[in-house]
Amino acid sequence: MSARHTKRPLGLVLGVALSLAAVSGAAVAAVSAEKVIAERQKGLKAMGGAFKTINDNLKTDAPDAKLIAAQAKIVKDWSHHIPKWFPKGSGPEAGFKTAAKPEIWTDPAKFAAAAKGLQVEAAKLETIAKGGNIDAIKAQVKATGGACGTCHTPFRVKS
Amino acid sequence: MSETPAAPTKLWDLPTRITHWSLVVLIVTAWLSGGQQMEIHMLAGYGVIGLLVFRLYWGVFGGETARFSQFVKGPGATARYLKTMGKRTAADLVGHSPVGAVSVVALLLVMIVQAGLGLFATDIDGINSGPLSYMVDFDTGRLASEWHELSFRVLQGLVVLHLAAIAFYALWKRQNLVTAMITGKRRFIGPAPTLKFAPAWRFVLGVALAVGVAWLIARGLKLPKL
Repeated sequence: MSARHTKRPLGLVLGVALSLAAVSGAAVAAVSAEKVIAERQKGLKAMGGAFKTINDNLKTDAPDAKLIAAQAKIVKDWSHHIPKWFPKGSGPEAGFKTAAKPEIWTDPAKFAAAAKGLQVEAAKLETIAKGGNIDAIKAQVKATGGACGTCHTPFRVKS
Repeated sequence: MSETPAAPTKLWDLPTRITHWSLVVLIVTAWLSGGQQMEIHMLAGYGVIGLLVFRLYWGVFGGETARFSQFVKGPGATARYLKTMGKRTAADLVGHSPVGAVSVVALLLVMIVQAGLGLFATDIDGINSGPLSYMVDFDTGRLASEWHELSFRVLQGLVVLHLAAIAFYALWKRQNLVTAMITGKRRFIGPAPTLKFAPAWRFVLGVALAVGVAWLIARGLKLPKL
């Protein structure tokens, strides 16, 4: 878990590199788009993994609220990266093999709202998990999972 | 066929037929619900696991035509049967043919792999997971999920082959195999065989075993606290 956190400044550097690349030509932009795609795939996988850990734990006889809170923090932290993970030119129209749908860029307001929704629900989950009430946690895990869906249903190619 | 065929003789016992048709219903249910209605999908999967456990048990302790030792043949016998398969005469075999046996074993093996992979699978969002998925990490769960989809393509292929074989017997050899799997009875051209069938208590024992195993797997192999 801590390894992921130490890598976060790298994401920042990448972001800066990306904005530079946007100015300095298409070839560089393509390389940067590849990097941002790799970065978002890593982050989304980390969120999926954290969510699996939460759901696995809730299925045990004695769920561990502390562990769930820590995993919720991972989801929350990564969720704040989403808005910068999908720059123009990192979609299928630029020739990349990605499950990201073009609607991300044609309906940016809806996409931003969906990303915000996850940030809000994941933050709530962390707070509720810290409270330790397992039933409340279960309900909020559902809500957070729903927030994944509000983005994935319209904006991700169905596998 | 100038002679009048003899009266229908019992060929497949009831447990074998129930297992067969339940698998048909549950595999189709699992297929349609997969990726959509995961609760139904998983229940169908547990049902399939129970049926597979029962079928393996019945393949050793069941009625004569259900037993692996009765129908699984070596490569020699299989090759000999393959040579006669093209003839436009009905094959008057008792139970599965040696080639049909290969199909039965292949279907069972792929269904076992299919169900086994499903147990460890995780969806892309980490929301729905098979009951044993807690034993593996997210990436492994995703891999299991991808293989679960791949092995289903193999299973679909085998089912198509199975249906094609039934069509081949019906159209080319003028032999109806489906009715016998429903009624359990068939008319034999030659003398009717005398088959041994298993007593009811063996069936009850097999059902108990199947339900027990499926139940234990569904709860992630964790025994309830007493």
